[in-house]
Amino acid sequence: MTGAWLRSREAGVAGLILLTVAAVGTINPRFLSVENARDILIAASPGLIVACGATLVIVLGEIDISMGALMGVCAAVLGKLVSAEHAGLPVWLATLIVLSLAAGIGLINGLLVTVARVPSIIATLGMLTILTGVGDLLMAGETIGGFPDSLRAFAIGHVGMLPMPVLVALACLAAFTVLTRETALGRRIYAVGSNAHAARLAGLPALRLKVLAFTLTGLLTGVATLISAPQLEVIEAGFGRQFELFVVTAVVVGGASMSGGAGSIAGSALGVLLLSLVRTALIFLQLGIGATYWERAIQGGFILAAVLADHVSRRRRVQR
Amino acid sequence: MRHLAVILAVLTLAASAAAVAAEAGAQITVALLPKKKGVAYFTSCAAGAEQAAKELGNVTLIYDGPTDGSPEKAAALIEKWTLKGVDVIAVSPNDPEVLAPAMQAAMAKGVKVITWDADGAASSRSFFVNQATGTQIGEAMVDAMAKDLGTPAGKVAIVTATLTAANQNAWIAAMKAHLASAYPKMELVAIKPCNEDQKVAFQVAQDLMKAYPDLVGIFGISSVAFPGAAEAVKQAGRSGQVLVTGLATPNAMKGYVKDGTVKSVVLWNTRDLGYLTVRVARALADGVLIPGATSFAAGSLGSKPVAGDAILLNNLLVFTKANIDQFDF
Amino acid sequence: MKLGAYRYWHETVLAALIAALMIGAAVVDPRFVSWKTQIALSSHVWELALLAVPMTAIIITAGIDLSVGSAMALSAVVLGLAYQAGANAWLAAACGIVAGALCGTFNGLAVAWLRVHPLIVTLATLAAFRGVAEGISLGRPISGFPASFTVLGLGTIAGVPIAGVIVALIATAAGLALARTPSGLSLYAIGHNPAASRFSGLPVARLTVALYALSGTCAGLAAAIYVARRNTAKADLGTGLELDVITAVVLGGTSIFGGSGRIIGTVLGVLAIHETREFVGWHWEHEELNAIVVGVLLIAAVLLNRLFTRPTR
Repeated sequence: MTGAWLRSREAGVAGLILLTVAAVGTINPRFLSVENARDILIAASPGLIVACGATLVIVLGEIDISMGALMGVCAAVLGKLVSAEHAGLPVWLATLIVLSLAAGIGLINGLLVTVARVPSIIATLGMLTILTGVGDLLMAGETIGGFPDSLRAFAIGHVGMLPMPVLVALACLAAFTVLTRETALGRRIYAVGSNAHAARLAGLPALRLKVLAFTLTGLLTGVATLISAPQLEVIEAGFGRQFELFVVTAVVVGGASMSGGAGSIAGSALGVLLLSLVRTALIFLQLGIGATYWERAIQGGFILAAVLADHVSRRRRVQR
Repeated sequence: MRHLAVILAVLTLAASAAAVAAEAGAQITVALLPKKKGVAYFTSCAAGAEQAAKELGNVTLIYDGPTDGSPEKAAALIEKWTLKGVDVIAVSPNDPEVLAPAMQAAMAKGVKVITWDADGAASSRSFFVNQATGTQIGEAMVDAMAKDLGTPAGKVAIVTATLTAANQNAWIAAMKAHLASAYPKMELVAIKPCNEDQKVAFQVAQDLMKAYPDLVGIFGISSVAFPGAAEAVKQAGRSGQVLVTGLATPNAMKGYVKDGTVKSVVLWNTRDLGYLTVRVARALADGVLIPGATSFAAGSLGSKPVAGDAILLNNLLVFTKANIDQFDF
Repeated sequence: MKLGAYRYWHETVLAALIAALMIGAAVVDPRFVSWKTQIALSSHVWELALLAVPMTAIIITAGIDLSVGSAMALSAVVLGLAYQAGANAWLAAACGIVAGALCGTFNGLAVAWLRVHPLIVTLATLAAFRGVAEGISLGRPISGFPASFTVLGLGTIAGVPIAGVIVALIATAAGLALARTPSGLSLYAIGHNPAASRFSGLPVARLTVALYALSGTCAGLAAAIYVARRNTAKADLGTGLELDVITAVVLGGTSIFGGSGRIIGTVLGVLAIHETREFVGWHWEHEELNAIVVGVLLIAAVLLNRLFTRPTR
């Protein structure tokens, strides 16, 4: 049992994280501070939250790339609703509206994919493009500030040692781990993802599961916006741009397969952590100003190495 | 032969003067191109431009630009406006090199091209509405930091827009030079991009403070990088220990200036900049503004000096706790 | 007559849509549809068109290449640095195209030999290629190319842009190769069933590597045309272009699941995006609308396609 886990993708990514932390920590011990760990976790929490939904979608053999633009729209709507300079609605009402909006967009994605049979990459690419434009129009070239204190306190507050966003992320991770591992619903999702045809013959409601996964991803994107947008005093157009790229890359690094059926919440969470570490690690290495220009290449190389190494080792196992 | 050339030149001049005279006061279309549409800074410039157009009454103003700040899209817009036959194109080039061919082509088609906010190649425009040169902006930020620090010494870092942002790179070059010559005890330890994402700016500034515990200052040199960096310092509880300065609209920075995280914000009156740009465009179309002029009557702004081919706005502002409430843009 | 018997429904609908748009445009603003305007605006589409051609072939094999924009940036930077180092501009362009081909070959090898999903490989190289471009150029622009070179992006032959002629030649060659040659036809087989294709003796790995290498080569060529047109080589060019390219190909009727698609559809898809975008920009002067209109167009086209074709699976 332990032996099998050690050879799993999760163990590989966890090992890579430990290796990175150890290496950077040796060179610059300040990297190992509690403060730094806390900041990295806070920065990673929107990714952790949305990755839960994205993992379900990818396990089902679909993909969602509309999250970043949806986040921008949610942030703009949230700002317009709660800010005293705009609508000035009570926080609970604004939160409700933003979450319903996010879930609603997710639902539309799901219906486009299932009922209208538009391939998911196309449906969500179209949604990404549309929402980017809508977000820009909503912001109308202004900054939106003046989040009420209660919302600010929620986004930057603590419960004991734990920052609020991290707490929300942990709750999501726990809920989705239970969902995927312990419930019949979770088993059905994997069954549909690994063999859609057999699942259909067995009478599993593949379409409904897919609609659910897309709706949840939308809802979680709304949650991620609620914990991250009020961390800033003012928001500007472009909030969340390219977030989808980050989440999909992280889920893939965490071992999910693009053909469906494989992937886990734990793996995706580790993928998010690994990718969140890289930029911070590069700053703590203090490589000097010239090295800044190579950062993106190093990040890309890191992703490439993680993905290729896993496939090479997996192939070797299969051949053996 | 030479006589013929002179006569031809005189004739062309006369013809163009006649054409200009015929046009003076006629309805014209002015296209105002920002580096990036959707940014509060440019929106407030556009508001000033709108006001000038309204005052003049004979200017149709188009305000449009790439929402993602892509130079290619900006060049495409210039080409489109040239084809549509607008009278004046006022460009804030997000990349002078990429935009130069399109601007030159527009001039060759008879469109008046000026730059505003940031300059392009001299051969790609007739005048530059200059609120401050890249060197002035870079030096002003360094000077503001030095003044805020009291003793200008210690480690400082820059959070920039993207590594390929032409304007920011010009400012960084000026900042490096000014730091080396005027404040040798201030050491620039890092330049990090935030990819025009406020969240990333926030995280990068957090990381910089931890990686360099003796950091004394952060420059946020875009309107996205500055508030992100200020928020990081504020949340780390290090307001006053790590000073943040840079370029942003006062409305975005009021909170940070009032709580002491930011002592000074460097900028100019953006509405005035937009206003002056449209005034210059009108004068150029009317043939009132010609090379060699030394001053320019800019409506409600009064008279502005002209230095060579640059009309100077001449009001680099430093917003502090004392004066920031007087500005609303 | 059965609806399913006619093979070109998608292309017909798309052509009708474009025609309707152009007629509408002619009514609203005749200047937009004039030959002169159209020729001038066409310069905005050559890179997109050039990249859409190999992307069609790749998507037919059920693959995808997200790295084309980044490969284009890397090729452009290599071109610029070679020119700066003293090479003749055309030789420098050749260096850039070779760099693009190498990028593509790398993708192809990872997809074909390591059997990594193309979406994953090219998602990683999307970051890596642009990263290398930023690294070797230090983010700086390189300009000042001679007029003898910029003619590639600006010049015309008998009133037709040279870049357009190049794109037309490549699209025609690719269209014929896909429809008439054994290798081209086998791409459809690979898209339908890669395992069966392999067992039936098709050189799947070799074809895959060649296809991605070709995509990289076209990215290099697109980079040369772009640099010639804007007289600048820089690491940020082509940002986000990959999504436009995929949008055009899918709009043109190629199935993202592989196995079907035609170059003529892609050409119409590119044209539809180009004309829509240019007209929306021309008429409304609001860049924000562009994104919304293209997104709606993409989803609407796929939905329309569903109405006219029968479910295949």
